[in-house]
Amino acid sequence: MEQLTTIGLNHYLTLSAILLGFGLFAVMTRKNAIVVLMGVELILNAANINFLAFSKYNGGMEGVMFALFVIVIAAAEAAIALAIVINIFKIFKSVDVSRIDSMKE
Amino acid sequence: MHSLIQLSIVVLLLPLLSFVILIFFNRRLPRRGDFIGVGILGTAFALSAYIFWSVIVQTYDPAFRIAWDFTWIDLGNVPGVGPLKIKMGVVIDNLTSIMLAMVTLISLLVHIYSTGYMKGDKNYGRYFAFLGIFTFSMLGIILSDNLFSIYIFWELVGLSSYLLIGFFFEKDSAADAQKKAFLANRVGDIGMWLGILILYSQFHTFSFEQIYANLAAGNFALSNGWLTAAGLLLFMGCVGKSAQFPLHVWLPDAMEGPTPVSALIHAATMVAAGVYFVARIFVILTPDALHVIAFVGACTAFMAATIAITQHDIKRVLAYSTVSQLGYMVLGLGVGAYSASLFHLVTHAFFKACLFLGSGAIIHAMHHEQDMRWMGSLWKKMPWTFVTFTIATLALAGLPLTSGFMSKDAILAGAIGFAEAEGGGIYYLIPTLGFFCAMLTAFYMGRQIWLVFFGESRTHLKPADNHHQAHHAHDSHATHGDAHHGAHEVHEVSWNMRAPLVILAVLSLFAVYSPDPLDGAKGWFMKMIPTPATVVGAANPQKGALLSGTVAPHIAGVLRTTEVDVPQPVAAAHGEAKGGHLYTDPRQAEIVHAGHAAHYTAIYISITMVLLGMCLALVFYVFKIIDPEKTARAIRPLYLFSLNKWYWDEIYEATFIKGSMVLARMLSWFDTNVVDGIVNGVATLVRKFAFVNDGFDRHVVDGMVNFTAFTVNTTGAVLRKLQTGKVQTYVVMLMLVLFGYFVFYFTRLIY
Repeated sequence: MEQLTTIGLNHYLTLSAILLGFGLFAVMTRKNAIVVLMGVELILNAANINFLAFSKYNGGMEGVMFALFVIVIAAAEAAIALAIVINIFKIFKSVDVSRIDSMKE
Repeated sequence: MHSLIQLSIVVLLLPLLSFVILIFFNRRLPRRGDFIGVGILGTAFALSAYIFWSVIVQTYDPAFRIAWDFTWIDLGNVPGVGPLKIKMGVVIDNLTSIMLAMVTLISLLVHIYSTGYMKGDKNYGRYFAFLGIFTFSMLGIILSDNLFSIYIFWELVGLSSYLLIGFFFEKDSAADAQKKAFLANRVGDIGMWLGILILYSQFHTFSFEQIYANLAAGNFALSNGWLTAAGLLLFMGCVGKSAQFPLHVWLPDAMEGPTPVSALIHAATMVAAGVYFVARIFVILTPDALHVIAFVGACTAFMAATIAITQHDIKRVLAYSTVSQLGYMVLGLGVGAYSASLFHLVTHAFFKACLFLGSGAIIHAMHHEQDMRWMGSLWKKMPWTFVTFTIATLALAGLPLTSGFMSKDAILAGAIGFAEAEGGGIYYLIPTLGFFCAMLTAFYMGRQIWLVFFGESRTHLKPADNHHQAHHAHDSHATHGDAHHGAHEVHEVSWNMRAPLVILAVLSLFAVYSPDPLDGAKGWFMKMIPTPATVVGAANPQKGALLSGTVAPHIAGVLRTTEVDVPQPVAAAHGEAKGGHLYTDPRQAEIVHAGHAAHYTAIYISITMVLLGMCLALVFYVFKIIDPEKTARAIRPLYLFSLNKWYWDEIYEATFIKGSMVLARMLSWFDTNVVDGIVNGVATLVRKFAFVNDGFDRHVVDGMVNFTAFTVNTTGAVLRKLQTGKVQTYVVMLMLVLFGYFVFYFTRLIY
């Protein structure tokens, strides 16, 4: 019972796993490239939660620092990814990832 | 080098020069270059005459001999053979100088004669070229001082004979005759070569003098039988070249050649080469070999004479008479009448050349008619030919006052002496056959003279179809039709054909050779050509002759130079002095002695036989007391036997030719069935194996390759499906792999 009432490490990890699951689901199934990017953001944030949770329970600041880096990089990634999406749209007239399969050949 | 040697080499090479010039340039020269042939031969004859003059007339020495040689090929020490050094050399002795003059003279006369006889022939220039190479080869045989070079020239003579017999090669009969001559000669030459090899294997030299010397010194290591075999094998060369039984068959067929060629080659010179060669090796012939030679000669003489009496072709009669006379010469050598035999060789060369050239004149005048049955009554139209032909005929028949009488009589006397010395019995067969042949010779020559020159002209009796055939060379005549048969203008031949006849006829008279018409031994010829002492005497095969001092001085000289231990010749007590010569070999001495004793006996018998033969000819053909045709019918088998030349051609056809055909067919069968079978079998096997191999290759090797390709292909096809190019698929797969890894990892962690 105590474990259900007291928020502990497992809760964070579980939340992170759920977020990861959502993110992965979005990346795997959504057709819109923007939504896929959003899924990627979810995955990154799931990782961030993990970092912070472990950081809190481990007692150091390394996790926080990593989380900060991830946020920065995620921002950069979002900028680049959106630019790529815009280019993709220019070429394919669509942002449907299922139709972008010219790497096959 | 003696100046005569130099001259003789020039004489030898001159005809070769004529050949080279004419064979290459005859079409560019005026008159096809015949003047070159005649001119060169004239020069050669002049030089030969000078040699003859120096040797025979000026020196007049029976033992005269000069020689010169050089090493032609030195092969060093050949394994299995020993030192092999081939020398070439020239020897001039009395025999050589006489033969040299004889050959060049007859060749010159034939050249001159041919300018008339062959006039207008399309191969006129080539004809003279061939005469040149023939003369060259013949002179080579005469001058050779060793067996090797004599063999080379021997083959060259065979070649030129082949070329000249087949001179009218468009005619099948001429082409066949030339092949026949070549093959028959080849059979003899094989034997000759084997004989040379036997002697070479013993003495390691080809030189005559060295061989004589070695034999005299008893260096022959093998048994006496081998020496006899060597002699007989060498004699085989003579059997082929001089047309002796049983290889005589080619000579009558050789009459397909132009008639002057028949005179030069197949009557006077080439066929005499065999006799000349036997004379050269005479001293090494053992008594056994000599017996065989004597019998072969007697058989040949008899057989050819019996054939000659029934032949119709004027040249064929002369051809068989040549074979018969060559038989005499060989018989003479066999019985030991060496000088007589060579004497006959020379006299025969002149009168037989005269007869052949005369027959050529007749054939020429008769427009290529050769059959005596359609001649007759020519003596008025061709007086020069008639007189010369008759003189030569008398010489051939052997009537006194002619050269042929002296030489034939000397041979027959030698034969009687031989028979007496050998103890009679079967040996009397040889002189008997000789005398019988003398009668036959007189008979068939009488028949020929009568048929050709006397009686009525029978030109018109000739069946028409043959007539046209005979005239194929004269189509213009044939177009006139048959009415003109008798109207052929038969006329005397031109001077260039007459002059040789006259010269040869003069040389057929006795006075040229001996002052005494009854005894040739008194003449210069037989004095200059004494019988050489044998080096293989009867009593002791090898050593006897030498030890008893019988070796001729020049051989003794050779022996000394070759450092053989030679006792100086000493006059042996039992030596028999004959004409200044010692025959200490008792057998030889006895034969010579008996031969001299039989001289007059031989003369009486031979004159009787000759007269008998002539009377028979008169009875048959002149007075017609006995009708020859009725006689022929009465003894038809014998007549046919003779007319068909003893069936020798048929016998050879049935044995050797059929035999070789059967052999060839057997070999052909063997070839098609066995050899080809093996080859085909191998081929089939290879094919089968290749087929199997092909299957293996196709199915197994290719299968493996294809299977690999197929596998790769299939795998690729499957894997390609995974490669969708969609990012999300990759993500899914990434996740699956990751999940799988975790499953695997945690499973291990748990258990």
